[in-house]
Amino acid sequence: MLNFARFVGTRAIMAAITLIIVSLVVFSLMELVPGDCAERYLAFKNTQGSGISVADIELERQRLGLDKPFIERWSLWIVNAFQGEFGDSCILRVNIAQLLGDKFWLSLSICLASLMLAYAIAIPVGIIAAASHNAVLNNSLRIVSYLGLAMPNFLLALMIMLFATVYFGETLTGLFSSEYRDAPWSMAKFLDLLKHAWLPIFILGWSATAFALQTVRALMSDEIGKLYVTAAAARGVHGRKLLWGYPARHALGPIINSLGFDLNRIFNELPIVALILVMTDAGALLIEALARSNDQQLAGAIIFLLTASIVTLNFLTDVLLAVIDPRVRKSIVR
Amino acid sequence: MTDPLKPNLAETTGPDVAVVETEAAVERRAKEAYFTASQRQLIWARFKKQRAAMVAAVILLALVISGIFAPFLSPYDPTIAGRNKDYTNGAPQMPQFCDKNGCSLRPFIHLVERERSMATNFRWVTKVNEDERNYLTFLPKGDRYKLFGFIPGDRHLFGVQEGKIHVFGTDEDGQDIFSRTLHAIWTSLQVGTIGVFIAFVLALIIGGISGYYGGWIDGFIQMITDAVRTVPAIPLFMAVAAFMPPEMSAEARFFYISIILGFIGWPTLARRVRTHLLTERNQEYVLAAQLCGASSSHVIRRHLLPSFTSYIIVDLVISFPYMVLSETALSFIGLGLKDPVSSLGVMLQKATSADVMLNYQWYFIPVIFFIALVMAFVFVGDGLRDAADPYSEANK
Repeated sequence: MLNFARFVGTRAIMAAITLIIVSLVVFSLMELVPGDCAERYLAFKNTQGSGISVADIELERQRLGLDKPFIERWSLWIVNAFQGEFGDSCILRVNIAQLLGDKFWLSLSICLASLMLAYAIAIPVGIIAAASHNAVLNNSLRIVSYLGLAMPNFLLALMIMLFATVYFGETLTGLFSSEYRDAPWSMAKFLDLLKHAWLPIFILGWSATAFALQTVRALMSDEIGKLYVTAAAARGVHGRKLLWGYPARHALGPIINSLGFDLNRIFNELPIVALILVMTDAGALLIEALARSNDQQLAGAIIFLLTASIVTLNFLTDVLLAVIDPRVRKSIVR
Repeated sequence: MTDPLKPNLAETTGPDVAVVETEAAVERRAKEAYFTASQRQLIWARFKKQRAAMVAAVILLALVISGIFAPFLSPYDPTIAGRNKDYTNGAPQMPQFCDKNGCSLRPFIHLVERERSMATNFRWVTKVNEDERNYLTFLPKGDRYKLFGFIPGDRHLFGVQEGKIHVFGTDEDGQDIFSRTLHAIWTSLQVGTIGVFIAFVLALIIGGISGYYGGWIDGFIQMITDAVRTVPAIPLFMAVAAFMPPEMSAEARFFYISIILGFIGWPTLARRVRTHLLTERNQEYVLAAQLCGASSSHVIRRHLLPSFTSYIIVDLVISFPYMVLSETALSFIGLGLKDPVSSLGVMLQKATSADVMLNYQWYFIPVIFFIALVMAFVFVGDGLRDAADPYSEANK
């Protein structure tokens, strides 16, 4: 038990170190954007009619703490970031945590839902494909996998929109019906969300499904050829019991390990799919922050949060693997 | 050295070769003795056996050629200069051989008249004049261009006698979508090449140091690489691309985007270079060469480099479509290339409105070409990977 706690502890520290490196990258990028918050604030004031001077900018920098050295500002930022506090956006002049709030959790749940969808499809289909020698099934799966790569999700989203508008005369956009958009959370709003969310979930899960299918199939066909499977079959275990009880359990480890990378892939597609489907979530906000206003505080916060979710998922899968896989567990406890 | 390729070499230089006249046989053996060349031949021989990869290679070659010769093959200038202001948002005009008045050996299109008035609810309505044929002409003089950037020309592959022909239709400015598609393929190939090249150089340096020194340097570099790899690439692209001042010229933007793609694409490649180096360094054939007294430069040149150049080339081919897709995605959301440059992302920007989706579906024709381009790269990459792996045949 103590060993297990130590294992979890080391993994947590490693995750934290990764996050700190990432935060350094993100923070340096934010610093590289021309112009800082003080200039932005005062530029805004300038449009309101009051004249500004260089001394005013310097004063504002001091007030915001922008005159402090890089390391000091970075450590302040990272300490706050771990507490979920990202300061104010200097363009929108609102608190970032408040602005993101629901939107971030909403996008995260949509992404996790598409990840679950991807594996809910990929695991059974991949196992069946690996076990059967049906050439038609295997070839069509191969084509689906390649399409998942060649047809990026945003093209798929465009195509689905195209067909929906041409054949049903309906644009499948947004996450909520207009009457629920600003309403507080309720059962009705949740149901309304489900009605709209299936499309983004499907589109985001699309290439993840294709990749997961390929992984599951490759892992399973590797395992199926091994001697312990033959031995089990010789003992009279057959059919589904053989597949799920023996090779599938072996293949589970690498699959769980690949979850983090799949979430990464889904996050990659999120902003663009969000833009096409006119969703009001963190992805769309990121494009807004970057493309339209150059809002580096908001962009940095979103990238940090996305990476933090991936790192957290990686940490959880590591721990999960230690719990369910006796080989990993043994190697820790020893 | 324990070269797994040796048995194959023996096959190609075996009894069959002896039948061929001696001079050619000697020459052939001499060629095969040259290690890198013969490995290339082996890869090619294995590659040829894969039907899907060969088909993909032919398609890829056709697309690359149509990209390179885009200025000649496309009938008009892809920028606003080549627009047809009388045929904006015009439907595709496919050349045909037959109509209700009979057939002709020479392909033609019909003349169109466009009208906008009270009667048409102020929308442009196109009327095809079925009786007037507009024959295709070959090698007509048209917009000036520079092939490969320096050979001036004004002949295009085809055109029509009267007015203009738009095989894939036109967009809202009247620019020819066919011409733009061909130029966009070229743009994608260029961006991909520059991006892959930059990523490759970085990967070679960083992965090389990591794999060569090993130990704590390796551990440290791997930690950084892994951390960079956890950051979702596209949001990071967007953040970096947003630094570009909007007043930047189209060419500067183009290079900037390629450089960003290269800078963000390196971690995966670097990891592969490192893995290749680490595994190959400990192979027995390297030890054997060292025991024979070969200098380390000889080992690197004659044994290590040939052993993984093919893998590296395969990795480069495989990472190519990711570069193309990332560029498309960036341009699509308006953070990548901008209008005078033709690129799929730029062309699709206009295609998201309901108006386009309902009325002008030909905006989406270029998508087919891009899926073909990416698929071709993926299949060729996979085929090359199987061909370059000497153990893949043993497994089958």
